[in-house]
Amino acid sequence: MKPYLQLSGVNKAFGDFVALDDINLDVEKGEFVTFLGPSGSGKTTTLMIIAGFEDATHGAITIEGQSLAGLAPQERNIGIVFQNYALFPHKTAEENVFFPLQMRGVKKAEGLRKAAEMLELVGLEGFAHRYPKELSGGQQQRVALARALVFEPDLLLLDEPLGALDKNLREAMQIEIKRIQKRLGVTTIFVTHDQTEAMSMSDRIVVFSDGTIEQAAPPLDVYHKPTTRFVADFIGESNLLDATIRSADEGLADCPILGQVAYRTEGQPRLHDGQEVALLIRPEHLKLSRKPLEECRHASMTVETIVNYGDNALVIGRKDTAQIRVRVPGADVVTLEEGDECHVNWTDHAVFVLEH
Amino acid sequence: MAVTVSNLAGRKNLWPWLLLAPLALYLALFFLVPLGQVAMMSVTEPRVGLDNYEKVLTGTLYRRVFINTFFTAALVTVCCLLVGYPLAYLMNHTTERRAMAILLLITMSFWTSFLVRTYAWMVLLGNNGPVIWLLATIGFADPPGILFTRFSSTLAMVHILAPYMIMNIYSVMKKIDPALIRSAESMGAYGTSLFRHVYLPLTAPGIANGSVLVFVICLGFYVTPVLLGSPTEQMAAGLIGHQIEQFLAFGLGSAMAIVLLIVTLIVLWIYSRRFGLDRLYG
Amino acid sequence: MDRLMRWIGIGIVIFIAAPLVIVVPMSFSTAASLQFPPPGFSFGYYVQYFNDPTWLRPTFNSLFIGAMTTILTMALVVPATFALVRHKFWGKGVANLMMMMPMAVPHIVMAVGYYSYFGSLRLVHSHLGVVLAHTCLSVPITFLVLSANLKGFDRTLERAARSLGATPRQTFWYITLPILRPGLMISALFAFIQSFDETVVAIFISGRDAETLPRRMFDSIRQEADPVIAVISTLLFLAVFLGLIAPHVLRMVRRSLVRVPLPKPKKMAAQHREAA
Repeated sequence: MKPYLQLSGVNKAFGDFVALDDINLDVEKGEFVTFLGPSGSGKTTTLMIIAGFEDATHGAITIEGQSLAGLAPQERNIGIVFQNYALFPHKTAEENVFFPLQMRGVKKAEGLRKAAEMLELVGLEGFAHRYPKELSGGQQQRVALARALVFEPDLLLLDEPLGALDKNLREAMQIEIKRIQKRLGVTTIFVTHDQTEAMSMSDRIVVFSDGTIEQAAPPLDVYHKPTTRFVADFIGESNLLDATIRSADEGLADCPILGQVAYRTEGQPRLHDGQEVALLIRPEHLKLSRKPLEECRHASMTVETIVNYGDNALVIGRKDTAQIRVRVPGADVVTLEEGDECHVNWTDHAVFVLEH
Repeated sequence: MAVTVSNLAGRKNLWPWLLLAPLALYLALFFLVPLGQVAMMSVTEPRVGLDNYEKVLTGTLYRRVFINTFFTAALVTVCCLLVGYPLAYLMNHTTERRAMAILLLITMSFWTSFLVRTYAWMVLLGNNGPVIWLLATIGFADPPGILFTRFSSTLAMVHILAPYMIMNIYSVMKKIDPALIRSAESMGAYGTSLFRHVYLPLTAPGIANGSVLVFVICLGFYVTPVLLGSPTEQMAAGLIGHQIEQFLAFGLGSAMAIVLLIVTLIVLWIYSRRFGLDRLYG
Repeated sequence: MDRLMRWIGIGIVIFIAAPLVIVVPMSFSTAASLQFPPPGFSFGYYVQYFNDPTWLRPTFNSLFIGAMTTILTMALVVPATFALVRHKFWGKGVANLMMMMPMAVPHIVMAVGYYSYFGSLRLVHSHLGVVLAHTCLSVPITFLVLSANLKGFDRTLERAARSLGATPRQTFWYITLPILRPGLMISALFAFIQSFDETVVAIFISGRDAETLPRRMFDSIRQEADPVIAVISTLLFLAVFLGLIAPHVLRMVRRSLVRVPLPKPKKMAAQHREAA
């Protein structure tokens, strides 16, 4: 079966600068896909090419097998929520939502009824006659969402829509957007540079870097089984330690810092003995103790810095030339002091190996 | 299939020209041509040659008028600064309400036509006017006539052009971060040294803007000097009008107009090299 | 020091305010010529102004010429401003300079030029001639106001409109133009005032037939200082005053009008809890 949305070999160059280099991506119908990456990594450019505001230098984009080539933005039937919402300031919430229907020749009575339904869906009944400047940031966000969805678009694009909201509101909106997206079943591409947003909302995360796709996988896979060093580093906190494969068959590596280490083998690329690799251990998979814990592998380290977050703390320790970051529950850190010697413990399952 | 760049690029390059064409044509026909005609007349009327320029640049009357114009413009600019700077400063250091009231007054003055304000000064300074009346009331038995003198026209021009100066300085002053002044004070600057080392340099762009604007407008000022000034001490614009209307001396009037234009453009050019012209009126 | 500054401030304010205020009592005077204090109060000069065709005709001429100038200026400047603000093209700097030039040329220079040029085109003493000249002089200020507005326009709104199904033309008519309307109105007002107040060029080219109000006032002041001018000055002054405070008054009226109590965002609060 053909994928719903397909990007194949999409390239974009501005003069000599290559903004996008051979982007290939398949998206299933109803899927919620997040483009995640630092600014300038090409995620927004890709979005703008899908929307029709930029032309790709090479490559093709199809929806249900139909090419979008040569279609103007208004002919693509794609709903977009822009970074600053782009609500029309001279139109009320209702008129904003009615606008796409008006452009499609829907009669006013019917269009307004649909607009009202949509506003209700996003939780804004009673606000129909307010102008954008009379609405709060979160409410404007909802109007923008209603406007982008009211004409039943084939695709919904969200361009960092939550960036302007404060933390609490952002979390509420994450849940809200997800709820509405599920209910309508609209295929969605969400652009963000906020990894927690990406983690909590997506069916799949596409990690961008320097105009290429680093990895496209479900959130937990991206977190636990990153395919590149960039992804491991960009998403979540990580300890990345250099090592050499001792025995690929047994899953053993030599690490100058930790000694001999066993690693997880699932889904790894083919490794050979003597290969230089990087070991990924997430800080929350490490445990600190005064004495080595049983049934764990362990190493000793010196506590350098303790950063308290209340419910948990980040302990940064040193072993030889390397820093080791450990997440510990808030309660455990009380007995610890900077300069203490302690043991860091892990299980084999916590170690993931990456090609250099 | 490939999404290639369409040949829209060609059309996009033509589009701004199409939008610009009507105005460009209009300005060519009704701005450049008449201006060119002035230049033309200056060297062809009544005979082909540079006689007119020779007369304008060497004749004592014309030279005196141009020098007078230049000095009057400079004097008006300095007076506007003396009026404008303290007021702008006060507007920034008084209550919001008062500042708004003064701003309203200045805007009102700005929007009232030159002619109305010139007339108002005639009323104020007239022989039966309030100023003479006030002088008489407080004991000056026979005050001298002040209308139709260099003093009266200068005073009116200062009043008419002061809003340009005030607005320019005020807007710059308003943007000064109060923390900057406080930090200067914390480092020991106060009184005149605070003014000289902090306030003055920060407001210099406003002063420059306002001064150039006032000076340039004053150079070409017609209405006020003609109506209020002394007939024996004309300014350039008045003399040009006089040549055309009274003597039908198109050649001489045009030559003077061109000299006036060149002086104006030189001032603006010097200014624009330092600050950029579009900032001036912005 | 503070006290001294205070008095200097009061002095300057009086200097600026006095000429604006003085014409008002004079316009209600009974004296045959300018005299202070006015010997008596009457509406005599108002009656005279509104019954004298030699004053009314120039007034209507000025209004007509101002309106025509505004229309012509806007028709020329609006497209040009779009080109200059939104496009990059060869010769843009020159075009920009060209639009500002009429502001740099003293009006007396242009007056000499128009006097001779329109003489050869037989446009002297005609409404059309004055409109053509005034349009030229209105271009820079109109362009300045409009381009500032256009630069501040968020083009994402146009992208949004396109994504919602509007063609470029629909986007322009339904989105761009309505949002720019206040800026357009203000720049049109600037064009009108520029024409309505313009004196020097009008003195030279408007003649008897197209005589404008400033020209009539100028001649009158030069010859006899007719107190009717005080009436006109008062009326013009009043117009400026009303024009300036109108927006504030309108805002206050709108605020005091019955305001339907806005519904409380109940659902929002519920969702907040849900999120927390």
